[in-house]
Amino acid sequence: MQIKINHINKMEGHAGFMASVLDGDVKSAKLEVKEGIRLIEGVLVGRHYKDMPIIAQRICGICPVVHNLTAIKSIEKAMGVQITEETILLRKLLEWGQIIHSHALHLFFLSLADLLNIDNDLKLIKKYPKETKKAIKTREYGMDIVKTIGGRVVHPLTDETGGFKKVPTKDEIKELLIKSEKAIKIAQELGAFFAKFKLPEFERETEYVCLENGKDYSIYDGDIKSSKGLHIPVDKFEKNFNELQRPREIVNRVKADGKTSYMVGAIARVNNHQGKLNVKAEEYLEKFGYKFPDYNPFHNITYQMVEIINAVEESIKILKILEHSQIENALTKNYKVKEGVGVSAVEAPRGTLYYHTDIDDKGYIKNVNIITPTAQALSHLEDDIAKYLPSVMNLSEKKRTQKLRSFIRAYDPCISCAVH
Amino acid sequence: MAKIKSVKIKTKPKIAIVSLTSCEGCQFALLDLGEKFLELLEKVEMVDFRLLEDEEDAGEKLSIGIVEGTPLTKDNIKTLKNLRKRSDLLVVLGNCAAMGGVPEIKNYQEGVNTIKHVYKNIQGIENPEVKEVDNFVKVDFTFPGCPITGEEFLKYFPILLEIVKTQDFSRIPEIPDRPVCVECKAKGNRCLLLDNKPCFGPMIQGGCDAVCPTAGMICQGCRGLRPKGNVKAMRATLKNMVSDEEFENITEIFGLRDDIEEREKIN
Repeated sequence: MQIKINHINKMEGHAGFMASVLDGDVKSAKLEVKEGIRLIEGVLVGRHYKDMPIIAQRICGICPVVHNLTAIKSIEKAMGVQITEETILLRKLLEWGQIIHSHALHLFFLSLADLLNIDNDLKLIKKYPKETKKAIKTREYGMDIVKTIGGRVVHPLTDETGGFKKVPTKDEIKELLIKSEKAIKIAQELGAFFAKFKLPEFERETEYVCLENGKDYSIYDGDIKSSKGLHIPVDKFEKNFNELQRPREIVNRVKADGKTSYMVGAIARVNNHQGKLNVKAEEYLEKFGYKFPDYNPFHNITYQMVEIINAVEESIKILKILEHSQIENALTKNYKVKEGVGVSAVEAPRGTLYYHTDIDDKGYIKNVNIITPTAQALSHLEDDIAKYLPSVMNLSEKKRTQKLRSFIRAYDPCISCAVH
Repeated sequence: MAKIKSVKIKTKPKIAIVSLTSCEGCQFALLDLGEKFLELLEKVEMVDFRLLEDEEDAGEKLSIGIVEGTPLTKDNIKTLKNLRKRSDLLVVLGNCAAMGGVPEIKNYQEGVNTIKHVYKNIQGIENPEVKEVDNFVKVDFTFPGCPITGEEFLKYFPILLEIVKTQDFSRIPEIPDRPVCVECKAKGNRCLLLDNKPCFGPMIQGGCDAVCPTAGMICQGCRGLRPKGNVKAMRATLKNMVSDEEFENITEIFGLRDDIEEREKIN
């Protein structure tokens, strides 16, 4: 029996789904990517390094902050550019802001309707006007952070190699701090609302991979750590995780040792360092009573909510430090253009994002490799669905399609990123 | 005898927002308007907006078809042509659709060979030259920028709605021919050109609230040349800041280079 979904809406980018099931056995389950190729890595080759963060962030309209940042970090590594503590603080703040608004979008507008069996968000908004407002307010706090530090929400402007072109004033930091008091309350209320929904039961043992710096809930730096004991520096990434291109396919998928699929993103991060969450996020998580390791991919939704609360708490911590820092120290200072290779990674909302950049002595890009979270999660998603499919085979086609779409959306895939 | 009241049936204009190949950032710029965007949605019947709904688009007639992204695949081109056929007005959202966007850099580079940096197996992968939306269909209005400016959408979209309601297509608005510099000065920014930074502001269509120069970033022309934009004067101003090659490189980022070449042919 062939199962086909032509289009899966409510996620970033275009994809369908196709599976083949014979006598109850799943022969294949495949996400069909229907995106044009933009060849971002290709167009970067031969260009000046200064263009790279600007062009690369346009891979994704939801998470430009992390593409911009990972590109910059790889350039800084390649050329040995030093940055200040204040620059790191502003960058982390940008990242938390990015995580808040990306997760809030996915949770409320892309996945919630699935939990309620509603096919159109406009109906959802009518049914839950108060909660819609809270979701929008939560998003807006994340967006306010990105706008204040980055100059704009979609495709921020200030962050560059070596630091920032422009930094926020103390008044702007104080204003964000005032907003954060409301934001944490609203995020917790939104969390309470999400805790009411029962998520489907499903489990498949797997490996969770994310960054780990040994200090905190790492999103900006660290080594690569997996739940199965792997612990390697970021620049050894390509030795352990191989990019594979199947014939005629436009996503270069990534698997561990070229064989096994693994998982990244909120579910991987909470699994690997739930002990490093802030107080309110930890309290919220405990209410669910989940046991770790947790192998239910639907819980990615819960963990995104956990991360939103954690992100607001983390933003407050950073803002309080910035309130008493010399923020001007984050302004870019002169540095030398040098030949070199830089590999960098950050935790994007959907998982670890890697850039490998090779720059010549004049500052022109010789080669670049970008590995996105969804390119890593894609094979994992298909392996999960292959196990999930038999449980929905007896449903009507309409119901089955709805279940499969919900499953895929719980992953929060970003197809624009996966193809780039 | 009972009077028969004349009943005026008010139907909301049908709208679709469709994305081709892109980062979808322009759609997010709309969603990011939050409640203002939801208020706008009250005034229309949204037939297709895939970020918000799962329902099948039945393919009915539309008042306004809005399209974002570059028409790269055969499916993209089919979607675009179909949207044009269905819509009274076809409105373009953002730099990719209007000017080719960052994927257009490929055209200026190694063309079809750029793909070899990305894929080992290139057989069976569609890799056409990047062409803007108006090469395929007639465009009635363009929201420029990478991404679009949300506030600008809120300003012009109600006018477009009025046009389709009254069916008076002679009133399609024009974004005023003002350089980015007008808004930049109004914000009290120091001119980046004074610091020898090669800002394209003077020749580029304003309306973006000068968001880039305000953040200390040079204007790289994502909104396109303004009708009276003077490329020759711009080149002369930038002569001591960038080489011809560097100038050209900047114009490639947002697909401005072909428009400049076109303009220079005329002048």
